[in-house]
Amino acid sequence: MRHQLPASLAFPFLAAACLVASTALGQAPSPFDPDYTAPRTPDGQPDLQGVWSNAILTPLQRPPEFADKAFLTEEEALAYEARRNEETFRGTRDVDAVTDVAYAYNDFWWDWGSKIAPTRRTSLIIDPPDGRLPALTPEGQKRRDAREEHRRLHPADGPEDRLLRERCIVWSGNGDQGAGPPMLPSAYNNNFHLVQTADHVLIIKEMVHETRVVPLDGRPYLPDDVRQWLGNSRGHWEGDTLVVETQNFTDKTYFQGTSEHMQLTERFTRVADDILLYEFTVRDPVALTRPFTAQIPTVKLDGLIYEFACHEANRGMVGLLGGARAEERAAREAANE
Amino acid sequence: MASSRPRRYAGLQASKETDPMRNRLRHSLIAPMALIAGGFLAPAFSQAPNAQFPRTATGEPRLDGIWQALTEANSDIRPHAAGPAPLPELGTFSAIRPGLGIVEGNDIPYQPWAAEKQKENFANRLELDPEGKCFLPGVPRATYLPYPFQILQTPQFVMIAYQFANAVRTIHMEDPGPSPGDSWMGWSVGRWEGDTLVVDVSAFNGQSWFDRAGNFHSDALHVVERYTPMGPNHLLYEATIEDPNVFTRPWNISLPLYRRVEENVELMEFKCVEFVEEKLYRHLRKQPE
Repeated sequence: MRHQLPASLAFPFLAAACLVASTALGQAPSPFDPDYTAPRTPDGQPDLQGVWSNAILTPLQRPPEFADKAFLTEEEALAYEARRNEETFRGTRDVDAVTDVAYAYNDFWWDWGSKIAPTRRTSLIIDPPDGRLPALTPEGQKRRDAREEHRRLHPADGPEDRLLRERCIVWSGNGDQGAGPPMLPSAYNNNFHLVQTADHVLIIKEMVHETRVVPLDGRPYLPDDVRQWLGNSRGHWEGDTLVVETQNFTDKTYFQGTSEHMQLTERFTRVADDILLYEFTVRDPVALTRPFTAQIPTVKLDGLIYEFACHEANRGMVGLLGGARAEERAAREAANE
Repeated sequence: MASSRPRRYAGLQASKETDPMRNRLRHSLIAPMALIAGGFLAPAFSQAPNAQFPRTATGEPRLDGIWQALTEANSDIRPHAAGPAPLPELGTFSAIRPGLGIVEGNDIPYQPWAAEKQKENFANRLELDPEGKCFLPGVPRATYLPYPFQILQTPQFVMIAYQFANAVRTIHMEDPGPSPGDSWMGWSVGRWEGDTLVVDVSAFNGQSWFDRAGNFHSDALHVVERYTPMGPNHLLYEATIEDPNVFTRPWNISLPLYRRVEENVELMEFKCVEFVEEKLYRHLRKQPE
């Protein structure tokens, strides 16, 4: 009895214990005002409209250097930003001409952002708690291995062998991580334009002018055997959050190892006049051992999205395939000598 | 001989008027005219054409919806007879479908060199037509391609998402300033004149065509479009085409647009790049050893 605390005292103790625990884990207080209410459209919906940038220095996965750390302190955040900005924005114009041309892009092009998320999280992935992508299932691994083997044997036999972004079909994230939706930042043009009407939402991602018209009327999905590059999206409101669910992806698209069974949930919440919190959860029971969720606070831009015409002058594809053929000719000629 | 008479659509006459006062007058006259001349006007439009059209809170026509042209103009915007496909293997796939065209007065006032150029374009259409290469379709062609498009209307923007090539267009209802550069779909600035959405489109890159017949323009193209309700499920689409580099005078097109009314109709994906890679890159493929 002596050691038992009265109930009225237990709750504050528990709360204090939680506070200590979260501080020990480096939990930063939310930078967003919990009392913020988004402005309303003429239809009475929360107004999420505008051009938003998801350029951000926070990496998708938590870097090994922050293995046990979900959040940075303010000082650590400043140091990290300074280092990343130094690394990322080093121009290439001060090198010899060959290197300059080989790099092609310099900091005129790059748009990686210059700040990490205001939450000071060490990764965009907020679940699993380690901030890392979940493991692939054996089936998911088999598919990834097959893709890699194909690329090794047929790097540029034809356009189908190249990345979807090089073909101007859908944009992929950095490296060979596959294509969205969801919308991840990349090297440049990290912007999307969201337009709302009473019954639809239009989301235009600048890269490859990926355009989704999302009905909000609760209609069923397209039949299961109708597949689309950008999937088939349906939206609804949960309180002030716009939720967009997407499925019916093709088996030619993959995002961080997913398959055509990917089910995507995107959540858009305006948490400040200039911040639209974009969260997405990826589920794929065939390819992923568990779902994962990422969070990107996107920033309002005072600007417009201009036309992105990629396929219309895809000289990169001509150069890639033409270069591969030239290398094969040179190899044949060398063998004949 | 080409007629210079404006085209007529059941109950509503295509008009070159740009004066908003006259435009309003035109609409106010429709209903009494319909009552008097009932037999002359088709039954579908024998009532005030805009009365049943959805409206925004501020009273403008609410153009939201999925629309589509029902015309053979993509084969040739001028009156034309049927014709074969550009490749015999295609049979009736891609054959020229006969149509009355959409050009007011029927003739396109080409400069002499440009009339010759159009004939060359037609002869080489299989290779040259940007539609066949899945390029962004430009304006006005995007409107009468045989694919639907969806309008999303807000006070600030009227957005048009076209099924073909996943093309999308922003019509600025607030002055965006001058275009920062030329583009396929142009730089669109809109305003309301009565019940008509008038869109001024400029800053084209000059690479799109009007149709599969090789009718073309330069980067000096200037298009003024007019979208006018003509009943709950119809719009009248009119456009004035100007290009002093190619034509001797401005000319007009007009056609009705039809609302897609099927249950749960949606803009499905037609990302056609993968369908044209063989056509465009065949010569760069690895050949068998």
